[in-house]
Amino acid sequence: MQTDRWHFPVWLWYALLCIFWWGLWGFLSKIGSDKASPMQMQILFTLGMLPVALGILVQMRGKLDRDRVGITYGLLCGIATGLGTLGYYAALREQNASVVTPLTGVFPVLTVVLAFVVLRERLNKVQMGGMLLALASIIILSI
Amino acid sequence: MIHWMVYASVAIVLWGINGLFMKLGTNRVSARSMVIWVTVGFVVLLPFLWTTTTLSDLSTRVILVGLIAGAVNGLGNWAVFACLEKGAKASVAIPLTALYPLCTVALATVFLKERPTVLQWIGIALAVAAGAMLSYEPAPVTATEEQVTCVQ
Repeated sequence: MQTDRWHFPVWLWYALLCIFWWGLWGFLSKIGSDKASPMQMQILFTLGMLPVALGILVQMRGKLDRDRVGITYGLLCGIATGLGTLGYYAALREQNASVVTPLTGVFPVLTVVLAFVVLRERLNKVQMGGMLLALASIIILSI
Repeated sequence: MIHWMVYASVAIVLWGINGLFMKLGTNRVSARSMVIWVTVGFVVLLPFLWTTTTLSDLSTRVILVGLIAGAVNGLGNWAVFACLEKGAKASVAIPLTALYPLCTVALATVFLKERPTVLQWIGIALAVAAGAMLSYEPAPVTATEEQVTCVQ
């Protein structure tokens, strides 16, 4: 009997690549935050991200969606993320990256709650379990 | 001195709100377009940040580290889209990419010689698992998927 050989899927490489890039971001943020203020780090972060965003725009061949409401949410996302990142860099000045980065990684806990309250999305059981673990981790890491 | 947890909470709250805006925004524009508009949002903040500080006291090394940090974060965003375009299910790929703090923990313990306590290791493990579990959203049956099924 012939069986299909399992191949490492291409998408999984990209997922691992993403984990690596974002993980490296946390690592470099710690190194930078030891010397630079959160404001300085955010300025550098934005300037560093611009060429990549430009590359993505080129890859899209300039086909940028221009829905006004969508753009407003996009800008709000950038402002909220940017301000939140100031908190992340400030925390990294005081505490190890190996503690801060996993902790701030539980941010979807609020997204899930807001989606439940504002968008009336249902919580699934995995997310409920995740909420409990997130709360437990916050308590443990604050000790 | 303000406890580091207060600063981390600011990040959790604002990034959490960002997640809601992201959901609302991607109902209107493509996810790729959203990345561009989010970057524009970062740029909008720049003049305000620049009124509070300058970069003149930073060494070239720190400036490079900060710039590369921004670039690799952007590359991570790009990799998510590439991953989804190569056939990944969002319900699998998004929780998987939420495991990125594991990579930071590995790099920080190896290269920065960080040594979390036993209690902190437990908290780290719970937080990483929580991040992945919270990002799990079962894929709804969409019209596109139905069409694909029909073609097959």
